[in-house]
Amino acid sequence: MKSEKLRRLVALPFMMCCATFLLAQQVREVKNLLEGNAQAIANGKANFRANCSQCHGLDATGGLRAPSLVSGKFTHGASDADLFSTILHGVPSTLMPGNDLTDDETWEVIAFLRSMQPKSEAVIAGDAQAGEKYFWSAGGCASCHMVRGRGGRLGPDLSRVSASRSAAYITESLREPSKQLSDGLLEPGHDSPIAGDTVTITISSGEKIIGIAKNEDTFSIQLLDLQGELRLFSKSDVQSIVHERKSLMPRYTEAKLSNPALQDLLAYLETLRGE
Amino acid sequence: MRKRSSRQFLENIAVVALLFANISAAQVTTARIEDASREPGNWLTYSGTYDGHRYSGLKQITTKDVSQLAAQWVFQTPVTGKFEATPLIDDGVMYFTVANSNAYAIDAQRGKTIWHYERALPEKLRLCCGAVNRGFAMLGDRVFMTTLDAHVIALDSKTGSVIWDTKAADYEKGYTFTVAPLVVKDKVIVGVSGGEYGIQGFIDAYDTKTGALAWRFHTIPGPGEPGHGSWEGDSWTRGGAPAWVTGTYDPELNLLYWPTGNPAPSNNGSQRHGDNLYSNSILALDPDNGKLKWYFQFTPFDLHDWDATESPILIDSTIDGQKRKLLLQANRNGFFYVLDRTNGKFVLGKPYAKQTWAKGLDANGRPVLLPGVDPTLEGVPVCPGAYGATNFMAPSYSPLTGLFYVTSREQCDVFSADSQNYRLGRAYIGSNYVPVMNAKDRGFLTAIDPKTGDARWRFEYFGASWAGTLSTAGGLVFSGDIGGNLIAFDAQSGKALWHFPTGAAVYAAPVSYEVAGKQYVAIGAGNAVFSFALP
Repeated sequence: MKSEKLRRLVALPFMMCCATFLLAQQVREVKNLLEGNAQAIANGKANFRANCSQCHGLDATGGLRAPSLVSGKFTHGASDADLFSTILHGVPSTLMPGNDLTDDETWEVIAFLRSMQPKSEAVIAGDAQAGEKYFWSAGGCASCHMVRGRGGRLGPDLSRVSASRSAAYITESLREPSKQLSDGLLEPGHDSPIAGDTVTITISSGEKIIGIAKNEDTFSIQLLDLQGELRLFSKSDVQSIVHERKSLMPRYTEAKLSNPALQDLLAYLETLRGE
Repeated sequence: MRKRSSRQFLENIAVVALLFANISAAQVTTARIEDASREPGNWLTYSGTYDGHRYSGLKQITTKDVSQLAAQWVFQTPVTGKFEATPLIDDGVMYFTVANSNAYAIDAQRGKTIWHYERALPEKLRLCCGAVNRGFAMLGDRVFMTTLDAHVIALDSKTGSVIWDTKAADYEKGYTFTVAPLVVKDKVIVGVSGGEYGIQGFIDAYDTKTGALAWRFHTIPGPGEPGHGSWEGDSWTRGGAPAWVTGTYDPELNLLYWPTGNPAPSNNGSQRHGDNLYSNSILALDPDNGKLKWYFQFTPFDLHDWDATESPILIDSTIDGQKRKLLLQANRNGFFYVLDRTNGKFVLGKPYAKQTWAKGLDANGRPVLLPGVDPTLEGVPVCPGAYGATNFMAPSYSPLTGLFYVTSREQCDVFSADSQNYRLGRAYIGSNYVPVMNAKDRGFLTAIDPKTGDARWRFEYFGASWAGTLSTAGGLVFSGDIGGNLIAFDAQSGKALWHFPTGAAVYAAPVSYEVAGKQYVAIGAGNAVFSFALP
């Protein structure tokens, strides 16, 4: 009797697990039957604009709160089944919510997103090894950026940069680093973009401290200074706070980083997917 | 002997105190709510008093000692979601709602649970803006709240037991409630949410004793009713006009002032040409039968989601040597309005925040539009954005300073319009809006002189705030910011005198109350309520 009960207790989760597994297998094989369908793409676009554009931008190229969906790269899975699940159920622990769409509407949104993607991403012709060398020495990238626990703190951690950023986006970040400033993603719990803003603080002695704002509110500011140290202030204790509205990242112009060297660097960054 | 008589004396005092306690513990009556300003130790209705002032007569905490204010208790709830409710307080007990149609009664002096109401909610709720609720109304030994699945319920104020539970509308069709009800006489009055789902808006009154529907006012006039012609074709059947923020009431005129929200779909007017009555309006209703006495529409044929759902404030004032009964509203469209509340006539209106859509208001208060502000497929930048120059966050009025205090926002959106087929109960917006890039949100506490409509002072927050306001007889205004601070301001000068970081963005409005001779200021933020007093 006791063992029978025990067996049932074991069997139930096992069966549930198997069913989930089989279901997952089935879903993974699902292809979007509406891909390329002009009407579906038009419907998907309208639904995208109504449901997704507030965060991902009207043309899906990214907005204040969420990344571009036309780069061909998706942090939470790029298959049709992955997109279907992400759109309907959201991504736990992120700002991405589940959406109130029917299955058909969801497939239409996916058809729209696929229609916006580059047909095939330009092959990066560069030498990843040369790019890696540049990153860690002559380029000075590692003085501010961390990769797998090595490197500086001031800039974003690049360990998985290519999982969500296209080569075009990274190229723009290198050539025109201040252009995407307002693109700073919102941190959960914040309603205004603050991360990554360059700030100059003049403290009471007259000394100027430059850094990246990690947080700020009406009465205080928390800074990571150029030396990579945290500097924490009450606003009442400082003389002035200036938001520079430009990135601390230097411009990597063609004179500084030639196009072939850029290709090498992109080839290296392409390998950084957090895998 | 001497000892004995002093004990007798103490016992006598105790008996007298008990008598007083019984008096103050008297049931909440309509008379008490009408005269709520005479018992500032309690907070008996959403805006403190029927006139919507959110002004506390308590003055233990003043501009001189507010810097000493200290947390007395923090009450944590396990319910996550935005905290938008205004707590009610009667006789040392605090009643408040939280997200997901949950609610609590707690000891307002010690922060301890008395009861917790949990509601089993269906899964597929249609919620545009979070699973929020803005609080209770009370009468007798009952508290009244609305629910996300579109019911109105009455709970026993001592136990939280459900006395009645009335279904007002069908949540599957996009109807929901977030509003704090208003009790007027023997009725509990509520307005519906769902302007993003193509509903037909309404304001309802229920019998406080039985929960039976007493009257319903449809905020979109049906065929044959005056105003019906302000809708093109059958667009009125899905025209929105919700009523999701609590109104105010003038017992002398026996008029209820209730604000209404946007026409649907909010961004695309191509199939609803006309003024779209009574969207974005103040409605003056007879609370006994729901009959419309007058209306004033702020934004006719709105294409920018500028609900007029901001609490109207009622004051009596002298304008051009004449005593006037006035209604004040800082509207989401960026203009501050003063109306004659006896007849709805426009008195004055001026912008109080950045706006790029109107040249001004005409003699009747109707906006004179600038060209090129209608949403297009590509998108058109307009200020204020869809969240408006203010929103549901409660303003306040101090008779001490004669100033109107409102949380104002300066943020612009790119509005786009696109065709969208209507489907029952589904989002019906007609495309969308996105923030203008490279422009930071700015937010202020703005003090407006209602005699002129001009701002007396502005305090700039970091970022745009969603917090409501409270004015007090101690010469203070309390509000909060997106960084999570509860802040005390000098009501005259706008100087920030004190702040406390609650740790979560503030969406609620502060209240003040008194227990055992001590003045408290309380605010909901995150999943908690915080209460402060002088040491």
